[in-house]
Amino acid sequence: MGSDFIQLLLNGLSLGAVYALFALGYTLVFSVLGVINFAHGAVFTLGAYFTYLLIGGAVGANGLLAGFQLPIALPFWLALPLAGLGAATVALLIERLAFRPLRERNADPLLALITSLGAGVVLVNLIQLLVGAESYAIPSGSLGGLPVAIQLFGAQVRTVQLLLLLVATVLLAALSLWIDGTRSGKALRAVSEDPTTAQLLGINSHRMVQIAFGLSGFLAGLAGGLVGLSVSLAGPYFGIGYGLKGLGVLVLGGLGSVPGAVLGGLLIGLAEACVPAAWSGYREVVAYGVLFVVLLVRPQGLLGKPLATKV
Amino acid sequence: MLTKARLIVLLSSLLGTPLLLSSCGADRSGSAPVQLSEGVPVGAVLALSGNANVYGQDQRLGLNLALAARNADGGINGTPMRLAIEDSGSDDPGANNAMTLQINRGMLVVIGPTLSQQAFSADPIAQRRGMPVVAPSNTAMGIPQIGHFISRVSAASDVIAPLSIAKAMERNPGIQRAAVFYAQDDAYSTAETAVFQKALAAKGLKPVTVQRTQLADNDFQNQISATLALKPDLIVLSLQGVDGGNLVRQLRELGYAGPIVVGNGMNTPNIYPICQKYCDGLLIAQAYSPELATSANRAFVKAFIANQARSGQGPVIPPQLTAQAYAALQVVGEALQRLDKRTPLKGLSVSAARKALMDEILGGTYQTPLGEIRFTPEGEVIQKDFFVAQVRMDPNGKSGRFMLLK
Repeated sequence: MGSDFIQLLLNGLSLGAVYALFALGYTLVFSVLGVINFAHGAVFTLGAYFTYLLIGGAVGANGLLAGFQLPIALPFWLALPLAGLGAATVALLIERLAFRPLRERNADPLLALITSLGAGVVLVNLIQLLVGAESYAIPSGSLGGLPVAIQLFGAQVRTVQLLLLLVATVLLAALSLWIDGTRSGKALRAVSEDPTTAQLLGINSHRMVQIAFGLSGFLAGLAGGLVGLSVSLAGPYFGIGYGLKGLGVLVLGGLGSVPGAVLGGLLIGLAEACVPAAWSGYREVVAYGVLFVVLLVRPQGLLGKPLATKV
Repeated sequence: MLTKARLIVLLSSLLGTPLLLSSCGADRSGSAPVQLSEGVPVGAVLALSGNANVYGQDQRLGLNLALAARNADGGINGTPMRLAIEDSGSDDPGANNAMTLQINRGMLVVIGPTLSQQAFSADPIAQRRGMPVVAPSNTAMGIPQIGHFISRVSAASDVIAPLSIAKAMERNPGIQRAAVFYAQDDAYSTAETAVFQKALAAKGLKPVTVQRTQLADNDFQNQISATLALKPDLIVLSLQGVDGGNLVRQLRELGYAGPIVVGNGMNTPNIYPICQKYCDGLLIAQAYSPELATSANRAFVKAFIANQARSGQGPVIPPQLTAQAYAALQVVGEALQRLDKRTPLKGLSVSAARKALMDEILGGTYQTPLGEIRFTPEGEVIQKDFFVAQVRMDPNGKSGRFMLLK
């Protein structure tokens, strides 16, 4: 029974860690702009493809780049952060092309939401055009000499799941420290509170928005690479499911709340893990059921602030 | 802030655009004459993107090879055959849109859709509009029964699937504890698992667990943990290529070393990149053997190998899906040729040509790479030879083959 519980806990936490990493990207952008970046799922997907290419993976037969292979084959440990940087670059590009022009014209935030959706569609189709729609996989031996699975307190766990959990924990801790303990982190919070006042206080709001997008893209890229290692790259659209789940996590935790994104991710992951295995096909029902119940009780999400309205 | 009126305008635009776009194509169906200026129009609806893209790519190759063979042989009595392929995107709305587009374009027949799930959605549209459909890969029960215009060259699960269970039992007579996985949101998977479970019951085996998944699932740690705790000595999967490949990989990584029987959804070399070295040993029943010693199969294999050599990659043994797609277009080509000889297509209305073509398809006997095939009056394929293969991966874990078991 003890090992069963450990198994369930580890399964839920590793799953939840991915959701949390994903939702953090949404949260960072939402906190500074007040809109959801719907291109985030596409950036996550790109991170997986970048990782695949950087470890020496070849493009299949169905894209414009058929047969293409980088002349280098980096170890996964190096490829992953580089893929994160690549994804961050793309996220910055999205900010420049899909968000900033509207912001500079004081456009309705809803329009940015639509342009981000468009940017996501363009990216996904670009991936399909260049590398085809086929599935790719990062070889399971990519973790060097590490075994593919280990026994932990009587539970059998895939090493990649522990890696996901570890990377997510380190990143979340680093992000929290940065936001709470550094000047730039505090500046980001100030911009999220009130961009105009922050600007008057000498904070470069544009720069903070760029930092939020860059970080968000970096996290998405890392998450994409890790998920790609865990479960393969099931075509250019494989980020969509995670994107929807990430949205649920964002709402559950509270819009714009970093600790909320983490808590929401872990809660959804654990809720899904608690579904009896034979009924796992219905785990989405449980995940969204939790979301529904929490929103009935706390419409602002678990750690979100109630919306104050001036009258 | 967003006003209600603006929200309504925005949503209306989003919802209305696809409708507007879908109505843009000229409707050449019905009473208009068959358009032969660019060749005899044949359509296909394949899953070239989305989670079933691994099948669509195999099928596209088969169709193109058959098209090249037909046109090199004079096309349809001197007029080349023209193939228009539409991507279904692996989902029901995509398949419906692609089918409607092919009907409106004046195609005489549609080959597809790739998945049974999509066929149950799109084929009724074809049936209503009198469009002949030849399914190259639908194996769920009830597909030809959708209506007169629906046929298939892919044998149903209940004919093929039990063979792999029998082979697994023959090779491992001590099997007592079978575990079953299937995707509950997929018509093919739910149909095939019923056949598998019936075959297990016929051998006196009651599954120790039946695990329901979803097509979009790719992390199976929970289900695998629960399954392995029951110590199964046979695992039977009715899943598609991507989710099935992931499940096999995770099963092996988590220590399951026993036999795995997989269904038709994993009947493609495109699973190799997903489960990699862990694909090795999978048992699968097939409706096609590259070793079938007929002139039709030899010609197909030769064309396939030549194509693979040109592209410089991929497997050198043709997969079943490619052979079935080839057979589907071959059937269509031969039926068109017979029809055109008897009643020239030129001058016929599209609807009359479609109706006559359907009768012609059902009435013929065809020497295909699958062997000799015919159809029942309701469009079910009659095929003689079936096989059981085992996946054998090369040491690099990237390439492999379906090795026939005697």
